[in-house]
Amino acid sequence: MWSERFLVVKKNPSMKLQKYLMILKISFLQEFAYRFNFVMWRVRNVIQVFIAFYFWDTLFADPGKVIFGYDRAKILTYVFAILFIRSIVLSARAVDIAGQISNGELSNLLLKPVNFFKYWFARDLSSKALNVVFAFIETFLLYLLLRPPIFLQTTLINLIGAIVFVLLAILLFYFLLFITNMVAFWMPENGWAAQFLIIGIVTEFFSGGVFPLNIFPEGAQVVFGYLPFQYLLYFPVQVYLGNVAGAEITRGFVVVVGWIVALYFLTTKIWLRGLKNYASEGR
Amino acid sequence: MNKAILIDHLVKEFVVNEKRPGFIGGISSIFSPKKKIVKALKGISLSVNKGEFVGFIGPNGAGKTTTLKILSGLLYPTDGFVEVLDHDPWERKEEFLKRISLVMGQKNQLWWDLPAIETFELNRAIYGIPKKEYEKNLEELVDLLSVGKLLKTQVRRLSLGQRMKMELIAALLHKPEILFLDEPTIGLDVIAQQKVRDFIYQYNKKYESTILLTSHNMSDLVDLAERMVVINDGQIVFDGDFGELIRHFGKNKLIKISLSQEVDIKKLESIGKVVSLSFPQVTLSVPRASSAVAASELLQEFPVADLTIEEVPIEDVVRKVFGGKEKS
Repeated sequence: MWSERFLVVKKNPSMKLQKYLMILKISFLQEFAYRFNFVMWRVRNVIQVFIAFYFWDTLFADPGKVIFGYDRAKILTYVFAILFIRSIVLSARAVDIAGQISNGELSNLLLKPVNFFKYWFARDLSSKALNVVFAFIETFLLYLLLRPPIFLQTTLINLIGAIVFVLLAILLFYFLLFITNMVAFWMPENGWAAQFLIIGIVTEFFSGGVFPLNIFPEGAQVVFGYLPFQYLLYFPVQVYLGNVAGAEITRGFVVVVGWIVALYFLTTKIWLRGLKNYASEGR
Repeated sequence: MNKAILIDHLVKEFVVNEKRPGFIGGISSIFSPKKKIVKALKGISLSVNKGEFVGFIGPNGAGKTTTLKILSGLLYPTDGFVEVLDHDPWERKEEFLKRISLVMGQKNQLWWDLPAIETFELNRAIYGIPKKEYEKNLEELVDLLSVGKLLKTQVRRLSLGQRMKMELIAALLHKPEILFLDEPTIGLDVIAQQKVRDFIYQYNKKYESTILLTSHNMSDLVDLAERMVVINDGQIVFDGDFGELIRHFGKNKLIKISLSQEVDIKKLESIGKVVSLSFPQVTLSVPRASSAVAASELLQEFPVADLTIEEVPIEDVVRKVFGGKEKS
């Protein structure tokens, strides 16, 4: 069966790798074909940073002020860190899956000896690579322009922890996005709506992309701790800022890995059922 | 084993959500969807030998494309048995997918915004074609289809015919043993159609690949397929060679004459049924068995300047078959 194939390590690794490197390359070329779209997408991100920056800058006008454990430097660092991590975690090409399911373009991939999950992951990586480069430049320029006080983490364990959590967040978001897109197997017309609701609103809000989640009441924060969303943006940034300590980090790690494993199995299950339902329309 | 494809009592049903008309209807469809089961294939059986060229004809919605999609592993069959190259297509095993190809005239696998060569390179990696073999295949295909100068042109800038040629190359780089072609000439002009047809014919002869080609256009198949399968309303209504199809359904022949002066039509009607008349051209339909007699009669008794005996256009034959089916 297909799912077993996914787990088996194949004989010729260099050939396999070449396959996905090629997908990465063509995906990259494709992004360049839509330069203007890409630039607009980046402009949107920069505007978001501006808005957030001025909002928090006004709120923390007094440099001695500390709210919810944030001082001026930490909150502005939060804004910048979110810009950067967002471009790594949330930029993805897998958003196209729903459209491909409903217009039947999925058939092209199904006909080829290529692993669907790895295919889209490769395409996501190309999107992430491109976005990170831009985010880096933007962060640098914005820094020069706004001159915010930036909190530099110097503890090695926090830096490594932040990187590990970002990598986990990439996987977590991939499966969340994949599952959301597969709604199109059953509701071809509503694939986009599902994505807008789950990814555009729920994820954006509960991941801490709009504002830090510790402004919520304690009870809500406990609930967030068990949901996957905060591990996309908020938690990695908290680890970087040093706002979460040893035990909390361990618990966060267990929760996020648990979610990734659960979502992985859910994804393969839904995928196989979806394929049975697939009508390969329009072709 | 000699069989490339085995199909036995294949059934495919689709569950379709019916949309009620209008805005209110649209909203109520969300909450209480009205489901309807559409039987696309009603138990078809068919077997195809390796190297065979089979033409699938039938009107739109007959089930041709559904059959191809099941055979290439895109759709899950509702019931029945399917085996392609000793595989269950739906498992979509790598060894299986590397041996088949499906080309659809309606849409493309080429990357729209990039030159075709990029898609070819990608397919090379995906199918794991060794570099040397890839270059050899590509050169050969590009030569056969004479598209060498277009390889680096953005696909969106190609004409429909050029794009179809590129589609064929993309589908054939890995030398599939079975090639499924779904309406490959749709929308092409007559010359491009002929080029694509010639190419497919040569390809079949050269590589002895098994080819299944669907079309609703008979002329696509006349010079190509030895074997014809007529499918209508989810059922196979004919399976045999082309000549048999004509003999089976083409009971009449057409006699076309060109008159040198006007004659009484009534008198012509005594020889055969007048199908069309625009002086000086007259077309008569006569029973196959007596066509020679009718022709000599015409030549003797009428001022005929020219005369030809032709087969009934195959479109008409097929229409007749389908028409008969629809009534029952």
